[in-house]
Amino acid sequence: MSLLAPADQDKLRETFNQMSRRVRLLFFTQSIGCETCTETRTILDELPALSDKIAVEEVNFVLEKEKAAQYGVDRVPAIAIAYEDAAGGNGAARDSRIRFLGAPAGYEFISLVQAVLLAGGRPSGLSEATRRKLEALDRPLTMQVFTSPT
Amino acid sequence: MAFVSPNITAIAVEATEFPDLARRYQVSGVPKTVVAGGDHEVEILGALPQDAYVDQALSALTKS
Repeated sequence: MSLLAPADQDKLRETFNQMSRRVRLLFFTQSIGCETCTETRTILDELPALSDKIAVEEVNFVLEKEKAAQYGVDRVPAIAIAYEDAAGGNGAARDSRIRFLGAPAGYEFISLVQAVLLAGGRPSGLSEATRRKLEALDRPLTMQVFTSPT
Repeated sequence: MAFVSPNITAIAVEATEFPDLARRYQVSGVPKTVVAGGDHEVEILGALPQDAYVDQALSALTKS
């Protein structure tokens, strides 16, 4: 059974339909000692059902240390959003450098959907001035946004 | 922002699930953004207009 109401599913299906790129959600998980991993998986499973452009790839945090390091994931549940640059085809996945730590429940689900749409090709909504500033960045910056599940 | 600049990584952290992180960054209200650039850290409390938010975030690189 879906966590989403039928009307919400329809709306999301329509929105995802506008995506021009395939998006892959790398879900880092472990079976023991992770309270919200199962809940996260259940939430993520909603998305591929709504669009054939969205896929979820489960990554075992304990066994696939290299992949976790590649995406800078040091705890679970974690989601890394990747996308395929080439239209169609099996282009190499590109990292969006957008991560979610913890279950994307409640309002965070909306943030996750927004991130998927962005990776899927939707314009960012950033102003021209902001884009110029960001494109001029020459050193790494990590932004952690703390949220709560309401 | 992460999507536009290859130098930016953006992480949404569910504060109640990771109390160690919430404690380390003294999160007492959300949203709270902690921007780390090189040697400096900048905190942004609450939501701001885009220009102000971006300028504060980028100040993590220029702060002395």
